[in-house]
Amino acid sequence: MIGADLEPVVVVFLYGLITALATGLGALPFLFLKQISPAGIAYSNAIASGLMLGACFGLVSQGTRYGSTQTVAGGVMGVLFILATQRWLGRHELEFGQARGVGARRMLLMVIVMTVHSFSEGVAIGSSFAGGVTFASVITIAIAVHNIPEGLAISAVMQPRGSSVPTCAAWSVFSSLPQPLMAVPAYLFVDAFTPALPYGIGFAAGAMFYMVFVELLPEAYEQAPRPLVSFVTSMALIAMLLFQRFL
Amino acid sequence: MNPTLLILELSTAAALTSALGVLPLVGRRRLPTIWVGWGNALAAGMMLGAAYMLSALEASVPMVTEIRPELPEAIGAVLGICFIYWTHVAVGTAGVELNQAHAEDPLHGYRILMVNGLHSASEGMAMAVAMVIDLKFGVLVALALAVHNIPEATVLAAVLHGRGLSLRQIAGLAVATNVSQVLLAVAAYSVVIAAPATLPWVQGFAVGTLVQLVLIELLPESYREAGQTSIALVTVVALGVVVLLRGFVG
Repeated sequence: MIGADLEPVVVVFLYGLITALATGLGALPFLFLKQISPAGIAYSNAIASGLMLGACFGLVSQGTRYGSTQTVAGGVMGVLFILATQRWLGRHELEFGQARGVGARRMLLMVIVMTVHSFSEGVAIGSSFAGGVTFASVITIAIAVHNIPEGLAISAVMQPRGSSVPTCAAWSVFSSLPQPLMAVPAYLFVDAFTPALPYGIGFAAGAMFYMVFVELLPEAYEQAPRPLVSFVTSMALIAMLLFQRFL
Repeated sequence: MNPTLLILELSTAAALTSALGVLPLVGRRRLPTIWVGWGNALAAGMMLGAAYMLSALEASVPMVTEIRPELPEAIGAVLGICFIYWTHVAVGTAGVELNQAHAEDPLHGYRILMVNGLHSASEGMAMAVAMVIDLKFGVLVALALAVHNIPEATVLAAVLHGRGLSLRQIAGLAVATNVSQVLLAVAAYSVVIAAPATLPWVQGFAVGTLVQLVLIELLPESYREAGQTSIALVTVVALGVVVLLRGFVG
């Protein structure tokens, strides 16, 4: 067990940090891809869409165990949040890494969505310590492994738009930093955080669903043949579902 | 009531609801393109909701073999995705815009009917699986698919009306393309009851076909017709309604 002689709060933080660092591993497959064509961007978007839809199915399934109404209410807030963020970003001339304009907006939205969705995962890590350190270790490993394809999804949007692999990895880790930051207060005030969990999970799922339907899929359909985009997205979704089931 | 009879009745009722899809065309020659897009998005959200419900049911699936059901489910899903993909390629609709109201090619109308028939067959399997897993859940999936049949039929009506068919003929054809839903619902239910080990395979197949149908047929068309923001909103709202209904049914 990690840090048996450390303060419990430090242990919780370290567990959260491990899951955050694991997200950076999702950028590694892009070490082997140097140049990406417009069709490559479309398939990267399709992979990201499938992974995010699969993750959303998992989130909704988890959230509805606490309460369907709360999860859907959280989902509505997530969609409104992305709508407002899109509107705000649309009013500014953006630059993000090597990208400008629409590409920069898409990358920035992706990082924002994935960062926001990490808050509920941080709460899950912190709350899991209520079930003992062994249980928390299992949850931490599950979330850490689950974070790798999320890092892949972020990198799939960023790397084709000119970001280097270390930059993709860094932003992937950044998107999961709410996990150690939220794990500690969730551990200290587990009773206060638990009722908010379905709202947080629903928020994350709503934001991710909306991001897929409003940004990633339309761009993918524009730049590559529809049957192949749909095929890649469906396969990525099923892969993510299977991955979550085995965790 | 005999469950086979119940699934026959529910799938028949779902098929009949598609006749309601012609109503938006009563008293008008053409449907605004944006409505066609929203109809597709509404159907897409509800089908994704049905796929989510089926995929989230691992805990309540009875263990009928020593093998964990995840693997046959995943293989079934991959087979379902490949089945829809290759059928579109074989029929010649893989890269075709399905919702053209005035396509010159006389084969286009037949292709549309064939695609709709195939689409409905996959939904019949989803109903059957849901009914095997839990009666209440089966009724919910049948309800969701029945409601989604209406906008789907509206889209079909817009295409066929543009090709000169009367609303009565279109209502008949809309129901006829959903006959495969009834047949597959009853057949898949009977197979799974007779051989319970096939349940995860059929469940996965149904999830794979539903997801692939949404992504290859409904969403790409709808983006062209109504723009991405409204399509994303309609899809997410329809999906949310299904999730909410699932919560109420328990």
